[in-house]
Amino acid sequence: MIKKRAKKYNMVQNTWFMIKLAWTSGEKKVLVLSILSALLAVALNLVNLYISPTILSVVERHVSVMELLWTILGFVLGIMLVSAASTYVNTNTQYGRISVRLEIINLLNRKAATTSYPNVDDDGFSKLLARTNECTNSNEAATEAIWKTVTMLTTNLLGFIIYVSLLTSVQPILLLVILVTTVISYLIGNGVNGYGYRHREEEAEYERQVFYLSGRARDLCAGKDIRIFGLRPWLEDLYSKAMDAYIAFHSKAQSIYVWGKIADLVLTFLRNAIAYAYLINLVIQNGLGVAEFLLFFTAVGGFAEWVSGILGGLHTLHKQSLDISIVRECLEYDEPFKFDEGEHIKAQADGKYEIRLENVSFRYPGADKDTLKNINLTLHPGEKLAVVGLNGAGKTTLIKLICGFLDPTEGRVLLDGKDIRDLNRADYYTMFSAVFQSFSLLAGTIAANVAQDDMDIDMERVKECIEKAGLKTKLESLPDGYETYLNREVYEGAILLSGGETQRLMLARALYKDAPFIVLDEPTAALDPIAESDMYQKYNELTGGRSSIYISHRLASTRFCDRIIMIDHAEICEEGTHDELLKLNEKYADLYEVQSKYYKEGDAENGEA
Amino acid sequence: MEKRKKLKPWNEAMRLNHRGLKLFCKRYPQMVLSRFISVIWTALAPYVGIYLSALIIDEIAGKRDMERLQFLVTITLLCAALIALGSALLGKWRETQNAGLGLKMLGIYSEKLFGMDYADLDKTETAELLSTIRQNQNGNGWGLYRMLGSYEALCSAVLTLLGGISLTVSLFLSRVPESAGAYTVLNHPIFVVLVIAVMLAITYIAPALSNKAVSYWALNVDSHRLGNRMFGFFGRLGYQREIATDVRMYRQDRMCEKYNRDKNNTFGSNGLFAHLSLGPMGFYSAASSAMSVVFTGVAYVFVCLKAWAGAFGLGAVTQYVASITKVSGGVSGLISTLGDMRNNASFLETVFQFLDIPNNMYQGSLTVEKRSDRKYQVEFRNVSFKYPGSDNYALRNVNMNFEIGKRLAVVGMNGSGKTTFIKLLCRLYDPTEGEILLNGIDIRKYNYAEYMMLFSVVFQDFKLFALKLGENVGARADYDNDLVLESLKKAGFSEKLTDMQSGVETYLYKDYDKDGVNVSGGEAQKIAIARALYKNAPFIILDEPTAALDPVAEAEIYSRLNDIVGDRTAIYISHRLSSCKFCDEIVVFHEGGVVQQGAHASLVADENGKYFELWQAQAQYYTE
Repeated sequence: MIKKRAKKYNMVQNTWFMIKLAWTSGEKKVLVLSILSALLAVALNLVNLYISPTILSVVERHVSVMELLWTILGFVLGIMLVSAASTYVNTNTQYGRISVRLEIINLLNRKAATTSYPNVDDDGFSKLLARTNECTNSNEAATEAIWKTVTMLTTNLLGFIIYVSLLTSVQPILLLVILVTTVISYLIGNGVNGYGYRHREEEAEYERQVFYLSGRARDLCAGKDIRIFGLRPWLEDLYSKAMDAYIAFHSKAQSIYVWGKIADLVLTFLRNAIAYAYLINLVIQNGLGVAEFLLFFTAVGGFAEWVSGILGGLHTLHKQSLDISIVRECLEYDEPFKFDEGEHIKAQADGKYEIRLENVSFRYPGADKDTLKNINLTLHPGEKLAVVGLNGAGKTTLIKLICGFLDPTEGRVLLDGKDIRDLNRADYYTMFSAVFQSFSLLAGTIAANVAQDDMDIDMERVKECIEKAGLKTKLESLPDGYETYLNREVYEGAILLSGGETQRLMLARALYKDAPFIVLDEPTAALDPIAESDMYQKYNELTGGRSSIYISHRLASTRFCDRIIMIDHAEICEEGTHDELLKLNEKYADLYEVQSKYYKEGDAENGEA
Repeated sequence: MEKRKKLKPWNEAMRLNHRGLKLFCKRYPQMVLSRFISVIWTALAPYVGIYLSALIIDEIAGKRDMERLQFLVTITLLCAALIALGSALLGKWRETQNAGLGLKMLGIYSEKLFGMDYADLDKTETAELLSTIRQNQNGNGWGLYRMLGSYEALCSAVLTLLGGISLTVSLFLSRVPESAGAYTVLNHPIFVVLVIAVMLAITYIAPALSNKAVSYWALNVDSHRLGNRMFGFFGRLGYQREIATDVRMYRQDRMCEKYNRDKNNTFGSNGLFAHLSLGPMGFYSAASSAMSVVFTGVAYVFVCLKAWAGAFGLGAVTQYVASITKVSGGVSGLISTLGDMRNNASFLETVFQFLDIPNNMYQGSLTVEKRSDRKYQVEFRNVSFKYPGSDNYALRNVNMNFEIGKRLAVVGMNGSGKTTFIKLLCRLYDPTEGEILLNGIDIRKYNYAEYMMLFSVVFQDFKLFALKLGENVGARADYDNDLVLESLKKAGFSEKLTDMQSGVETYLYKDYDKDGVNVSGGEAQKIAIARALYKNAPFIILDEPTAALDPVAEAEIYSRLNDIVGDRTAIYISHRLSSCKFCDEIVVFHEGGVVQQGAHASLVADENGKYFELWQAQAQYYTE
């Protein structure tokens, strides 16, 4: 259950947050340009308001041709200047705004990439994070569009003030009429148009379905299955259903929105009728001239626009403020782990560290039983440990506890006797060179992927690690060698490595990192028998004198380890060397028997043949 | 990246735009119609107001007759209300018809992808083309999106022009009275032509300047794309759950940070477009706005002078100024829209390049003989194959023959051609050289759909869909419930199935349905096997069926495979050579060719053979 928390920040606070961010991220020009843009918009509105009435009055008064020409020239030059300046400013506003938005995306991504690992699996955090996406993913998203809103609000407020003084000179009652009709129309429209906003999740649901289905059409792996199993009619049928539902939703929304527009036209009718009646009365009774009539009538319409502009602006700002609140909540999400406030890990001169698990139990949040129970395990410096067990036995959880991605529910994980909860967790992660089953290949060169940096690369070390990982021949056969780009979605001409090659690249990356502990999670899953065997033979060379943890369900791999622990039903059920465990003749031996049976029989058959 | 695009010639550009419009007319005629009718309404409606307010002003400037004023005001108000009503209703229609336009376009591309030969789907060029199209569209709507908007703008411009002209013709025809002395020069045809020429010139210059500004977007589109792509990759790398451990361990947030905060990036505040906007783009846009104001000035001067000289009254002044400005707007709109359509042509060309990818695979018409005994025979005859765009042979000169109803194992090192062999057999690709025969006939001669009916394949990288379990297994919406249950049972999924609350109606994963259920890699593999069983094809092909399984589950699958496969022909690809023992025949691939074929016992006896080497590499760890 996610608790519904009260909105932490209001509209003003969020606007201030954005202003501060623009200021501190070196984008002061965002603020300057927004204000400038608002001022120019008001100026442009005013010259446009006066041009026609003034010129008409000159024509009407029939003073002198020169005066007429000068008046026109004056106005034209004025409008030229203001509108050129306004266009120039508006052409330049977006880049600074984009940079501020990117700054927010960067903060969010930093939070996402470094937040305490349990948050990654935390429903509250991941939902919040997913929602920040729509708050930051386009020029129209709140974190960028807010500048447009702020500019627009400033423009409308300034315009409002100026027009109030203009129209008060005519008739304050008229102001009231415009104000009332505009506000009512706005409120009705707002209530009606809120339908889409209130049902946006329904809409998003359909959209997601359509996106999912069309995504399958692009998916190369799915493409094979779609063709072999003739899945196209099924998927296309679902596609049209989702599409129909989506359109039906919009159709319904539109039939509601139309009432807002109808209400608006009725109120506009009323407002204009009153304004006309009043102004024509002035014409007849007080002899109001054509020019003034035109000026005031245009001002009536203009004033209504300022009012609805202010209301609409505030409404938009409110919505955008909610989105910005989401971003801020996400950025401020609680961190169960210590990072900078934790103790720094002092580097040991000999690079020898010991990790100890003391009565460690772990239960996933919401689970009804422990995934691991009462584990006691010491990883001695330089030791080669193998972890085996069936799928779902808890191997991966154990590794996550050792690597500091999860904290035990009970017990402690100690690094050289210190509880890792007190250490700087980011420091702790530098202790491991790991090859996990799912990895993150960067869009960049192969060398950058090995070094995890694209500026400061020790090429000699890269080559050495690539060679150790057995990828040298392949890479040197490529025209661009180590500078070959990976990720075709980003770079044209990038290459795609096979599963086995990727696994080797990840191994090279781990070696380059050269951390005191090496963690390998099923590193041979994608390798052929010869490559796999090759890896086993070279294991000692690969790990050097470092401590290592090797996770596998292929039992052949455990031979070269100093110690094997077997996990079964959340506990370490057996522990020892391969020979010891075989002699014990229990679970490990059974498992080994299952796997080796075919090979042994093979030999037997072979012998017989 | 300094790649610059050339503009298309006009006729070519218009042809591409027309083709785009036709595409939508055919698929979504109502949508196109609603757009056009709405635009007609919006373009013409303002003239009613212009005309009526001119009458009111004339009345005020003139006789100030109360009754006539009341009448005019009432008409004006009613017309405004009616126009607004029409706009509201038309708007509703238009918005409804145009809902999900982006999704509809996605649908057009998906349909193409679904129907494409796999060989083309698999080409990098295809993926690049598609991502180019999508990025063009996301940036500024270039491509189909903008094409629709262009036609709307074109229609609007033409109508505005016509409406405006009809209200302005009299401006040029009405004459200054002879009594006005020097002002009669305003009546002179040469003067009138001159004024029109000046107006047209200005009207042309303003949009030309603005097109010039916009063209910087189009011309620098490639650098714009790389920026988007880099950002697309690094912007949210940290959001991906499945790689969260890896990202933390290698501090990838630092790399992201570098790219995400790079203000020199294409759109950054110090990037290419920011500089262009400070320089030429900003300058041309500003000049364009200033230029259109000059037009208003000329219009005022001409109209006011004529009024001054007594050609017409004050009301006409407002009418003429307003409508001539509209005419100018129409001309500008016309020019800039045409320019836009031309700019857009190269983007449309990319779209059609994708939609026109031909289906090259020969589609034969022979019916596949339905044999109840399922006795099919397959032969590869001198088959060689290169992947499109590759110079190296993935398979070279493969000759082999296999009897049906047997169990065949395909083994070899990574990259030896095993999976390619399967892809050719299933006709995802056609051989570059040589032929594959089914019962003595080249497989290309069979009807493609019928030929596909022969195979059930579980690829190593198989995909399940985030849809209902039953539909996944049955590969259709109206699946046979019993058969699905039976297939799941045979594949060993029954136990998990009982945990699923909605049974076979349960959605897999959470991408499509929020209440979907996640399945592990091993479970997914079982479902994929069930799907293959449900199809009940004569050939069942399993590519690394146990890679994700632990030894016990692996043994379980193997012991069950014999029952599962029944009388079908089974082909296994496996790195676990232990699985070969079940097979009647083993084919060993090495460097794109078949190097050995035979039974396990005879192959393993050949100590110089590749099979022996592979077998030994694994067996040494299990034999004491």
